[in-house]
Amino acid sequence: MKKREEPLGSLEHIVMLAVMRLGSDAYGMTVRREIENATGRDMSIGAVYATLVRLESKGFIKSHTGEPTAERGGRAKRYFRTTAEGEGALRNTRAIIEKMSAGLKGLQVT
Amino acid sequence: MRHQLPHVALWILSRLVSEGEREPLVGDLAEEYALRASAVSSSAALKWCLRQVWASVPAVLWARLTRVPWISTIGVALLAYIAVGVVELTVNRATAYNPLGMLITFPMVVAIGYVAAGVRRSAPLVLAGMMLIAVTAMTLLADEAVPAWYRVAYFFVGPVAAFIGTALRSLRSR
Repeated sequence: MKKREEPLGSLEHIVMLAVMRLGSDAYGMTVRREIENATGRDMSIGAVYATLVRLESKGFIKSHTGEPTAERGGRAKRYFRTTAEGEGALRNTRAIIEKMSAGLKGLQVT
Repeated sequence: MRHQLPHVALWILSRLVSEGEREPLVGDLAEEYALRASAVSSSAALKWCLRQVWASVPAVLWARLTRVPWISTIGVALLAYIAVGVVELTVNRATAYNPLGMLITFPMVVAIGYVAAGVRRSAPLVLAGMMLIAVTAMTLLADEAVPAWYRVAYFFVGPVAAFIGTALRSLRSR
């Protein structure tokens, strides 16, 4: 049976896009910064991590641990990257938004 | 000059997040703190850091709760139980344990069960159990202000209403 593809929540959508944009440099704080720079939204690091962990449990992203660095007090980074399933969920969410917005006046992004 | 994350922030975060997230999350915060402290000032970095920790509390707590299914089920059932309590108190204050009050309360408990089942499917089951325990305790403690028929009726009305709420939710999701 084919698994039903659920669209991403708005926060999940934004975090997934940030992870994708950052590529190999996607970890908690860079994801937070990327969202802040792109949207002006001051997201807490806790909310970013909670979303990243949720996305990982859904199989939409994968993580691996980097090397510890001195600037982080000897703590390692946890890098994230999107999976094929996650990119499918992004396409699905985008398709839904585009279908729902089609033909509606006043929704053009300037 | 090396800037270190304030101990208070470390302490709060280390108690909130799970072990797997602790190191990367605290490390991220330490990195950004050091960056802001050298770029702006230590006090501005401290303010930012404490604001981040404070703003992270609800998200981190909620994430931890929802990751343990039985805890979130009990949490939802408890919230539903409080809602039932509020409904019951309000209705009984207006109707003074009149059967009409029971008729008003019943659909409201069904609605609460319906909403609870939407959040956690087995929450109304726990809610029904909580109501049975509460009615049993009320009966054993023999509060004279509550009529006997009301207690007996509530043995059925509360749990049945919660189950109907679950059934309606299941019907809708089919």
